[in-house]
Amino acid sequence: MTEMDDLAAAASGTDPETGLRAALALRRLADSLERLQVTNARRQGWSWQAIAAALEVSRQAVHKKYAREL
Amino acid sequence: MFERFTKQARLAVTEAYAAAGELGHRQVGTDHVLLALVREADPATGGALAAAGVDADRVRAAMAGRHRPDRLGAEDEEALRSLGIDLAAVRERVEAAFGPGALDKGTRKARQHFTKDAKKSLELALREAVRLKHRSIGAEDLLLGIIRAEGDGYEVLRDLDVDLAALRRALESGRAA
Repeated sequence: MTEMDDLAAAASGTDPETGLRAALALRRLADSLERLQVTNARRQGWSWQAIAAALEVSRQAVHKKYAREL
Repeated sequence: MFERFTKQARLAVTEAYAAAGELGHRQVGTDHVLLALVREADPATGGALAAAGVDADRVRAAMAGRHRPDRLGAEDEEALRSLGIDLAAVRERVEAAFGPGALDKGTRKARQHFTKDAKKSLELALREAVRLKHRSIGAEDLLLGIIRAEGDGYEVLRDLDVDLAALRRALESGRAA
């Protein structure tokens, strides 16, 4: 592949390497924010049920993910 | 199995976890164990590794890119930019509300664990110890296990152009039972 092709692929977002890396970074950022906000919510006295509802997941899921470390 | 490890071998394993932690790696590979052995100047393996020209700086350099840190780093920042997200701006807003370092504190404090190859290398170390009639599993057995497992640590040694056959011989003749 020529340099021009490389540039075109990166710009149009069809290069899997770039696209997948961006998806990974976004997931890390989302995980980070979620953890921070769950911690904050617990500190403010929110129930696991309320946190789960806000995140649109089951109470079990959020509890399993965070209960042990908070 | 750990009770059969020598004190030095046990230290190498705990130091491998520490080394991975410092580098922000969640996965502890045979390369981290190798780094620990080199860094601690382990008496059983130090001579053979030094003779092969292996030092901590060279190991660390050869390890670069093998493991990805489990926190938001420069690579993430760049990748997010390709989506039009400015990580510095996000960080600034989060820190304004929650204090300095808040975003990184949110990064998962995931428990570290041995890679599959690293687990295999411990099993192979036991086998090496039995074969060499060692009564305990020493650091030299660990290193022989790392070479036999052909994982990250093995690849690092190969990248450093280490004569693996010679290293193996030096390790095998290192201890008399």
